[in-house]
Amino acid sequence: MAEAAPARSFGINRTGARIGHLLDSERVFGYVLVAPAVAYIVLLVGYPFAIALWFTVSNSTVAHPISDFTGLRNLQGVLDDDIFRRALLNTFVFTLSSQALQMILGTLLAFLLLRPFRGRRIARALIMLPFTIPVAIGAMAWTWMLNPTYSVINWMGVHAGLFAQGPNWLGEEYPAMFSIILVNVWRNLPFTAIVLTAGISSVPQELIEAASLDGANWWVKWRKVMTPIIAPILYIALLFSLVFTFTDMTVVWLMTRGNPVGATHVIASYAFQTGVIAGSLGRGATMSLFLFPVLLVGAFVILRNLKARTLD
Amino acid sequence: MAVLAHPRVAHSRAYQLRKLRGSILFWAALALFIIFASFPVYWMFVTTFKEVNDLYNLQNNPLLFHLPPTLDQVRYLFERTNFATWVENTGEVGLAVVLITVVVCVPAAYVLARTSFPGSSTLGIGIFLTYLVPPTLLFLPLSQLVAGLGLVNSKWSLALVYPTFTIPFCTWLLMGFFKSVPREITEAARVDGCSRLGAMFRIVLPLSVPGVLTICIFAFTLAMQEYVYALTFVSSSDEKMITLGVVTDLIRGDVFFWGSLMAGALIVSIPVAIVYNLFMDTFVRGITGGALK
Repeated sequence: MAEAAPARSFGINRTGARIGHLLDSERVFGYVLVAPAVAYIVLLVGYPFAIALWFTVSNSTVAHPISDFTGLRNLQGVLDDDIFRRALLNTFVFTLSSQALQMILGTLLAFLLLRPFRGRRIARALIMLPFTIPVAIGAMAWTWMLNPTYSVINWMGVHAGLFAQGPNWLGEEYPAMFSIILVNVWRNLPFTAIVLTAGISSVPQELIEAASLDGANWWVKWRKVMTPIIAPILYIALLFSLVFTFTDMTVVWLMTRGNPVGATHVIASYAFQTGVIAGSLGRGATMSLFLFPVLLVGAFVILRNLKARTLD
Repeated sequence: MAVLAHPRVAHSRAYQLRKLRGSILFWAALALFIIFASFPVYWMFVTTFKEVNDLYNLQNNPLLFHLPPTLDQVRYLFERTNFATWVENTGEVGLAVVLITVVVCVPAAYVLARTSFPGSSTLGIGIFLTYLVPPTLLFLPLSQLVAGLGLVNSKWSLALVYPTFTIPFCTWLLMGFFKSVPREITEAARVDGCSRLGAMFRIVLPLSVPGVLTICIFAFTLAMQEYVYALTFVSSSDEKMITLGVVTDLIRGDVFFWGSLMAGALIVSIPVAIVYNLFMDTFVRGITGGALK
């Protein structure tokens, strides 16, 4: 391509020509064009992350962000905090039970949506609604539906004869935890179902028919024929949903603020409470950092998966 | 499947009964899922258009209208809150985010998709993985960074921070679009003396306009519905964006203005829901890094 360069830069001044020539090297071209993206991420993700690490070993507060090294005092303080220990447990309960419910209901829903029927497009659009509206808005709608006085769910429950009065959903420990999980499942179910639908429809029909002819029942077909084929896709989608659920605070913050008395906090919401509302940057950042190992494992597995894919 | 082995059984009564039972089960299950998914939206709708006296009357069946529908709650939202300002802020910040995202993503996605240089695949995956970094890990240090830049309580802090998640997401999506433009076209142009930059601007970009428009839409809607950073960085009402404004400003002390709150919620949800429904497959592809084809 070197021969083409002088002809092209004819009439442009020499510096311009030299830059043009340099840009024509694949390597320089590549680095120059990818640089803004890398710079943005380094400055606004990498650098803040480094600050967060400093916060965890210092006594920074919003009032005094310039601070002294305090070693592991924050970590100790956090681990001694009953509400935090509860939040840590809640985060796992919240994430794992949401994921399990999503998987079971999502598989069921995927098979329903794969069947051809009249009005499938409309049904699909309605079922996707929770995933398509902003999380914060969905959480607010549920908060209103679970309102202690005007709960429409309780009204329906009472009139259907399910209970005499209905629980105070967001005001009591277990109903509140249940509500948070429910809203999270509501929100993420469509995503799981879509991923599963795409996966299942990519399984070659001949394989399923062959299994049928060999006398396999639906469970065997699902376990031995479909699951192995859709596993890689499912795996990566699950990891994403796991990471997002594990680190989310929106639903908890809007619905319960971690109440009653800190019983429904998750790591993220309690870190927000401590770091932003109470202004204790060091403590807050230390709590957030508990999210990091899970992220790291998630990122590592996804990375391996993606690398394998790009090498294909 | 005994049916396949003995075709004549297909006409038996038992078979038809089983088929009927299957289809009843199917429709019942589907109906349950649809109700579960869409009831909250129906509820927003009912709440928005009810008279206050009807909404808070415990004697009434809450699912139905007992007084004629009203626009009072919507009017309250527009006239007595900063709703119009939030819409304006969302437009301004959203546009800034879209601009930054496009300017940064287009070149990055282009080279990552169409050239290979040392470290290019690692860079691509690295950029994608930053999408996994949650706001809850970074909101504390970023709040200090924002303060250092003098952007405390300003909507522009959001325009600065939102590209941290729109860039990874959009770069990855755009790479897919760029990869689908055949290599032969650019190679031919290069042989004819077109520079690398020229090939990008004059040949590949015009062919990828739908892709670029798609990432504009995603960047805007992702920015529009964000909550955690907005809650952390912005506290005064006239700097809020629409989602934060709706879920925080219609609660005064202990009083929730549910009618207007749900009106705002509905107004935010409708455009986003339409966009995401139209681009669902693309969106899922973006989230999963192309794990779904």
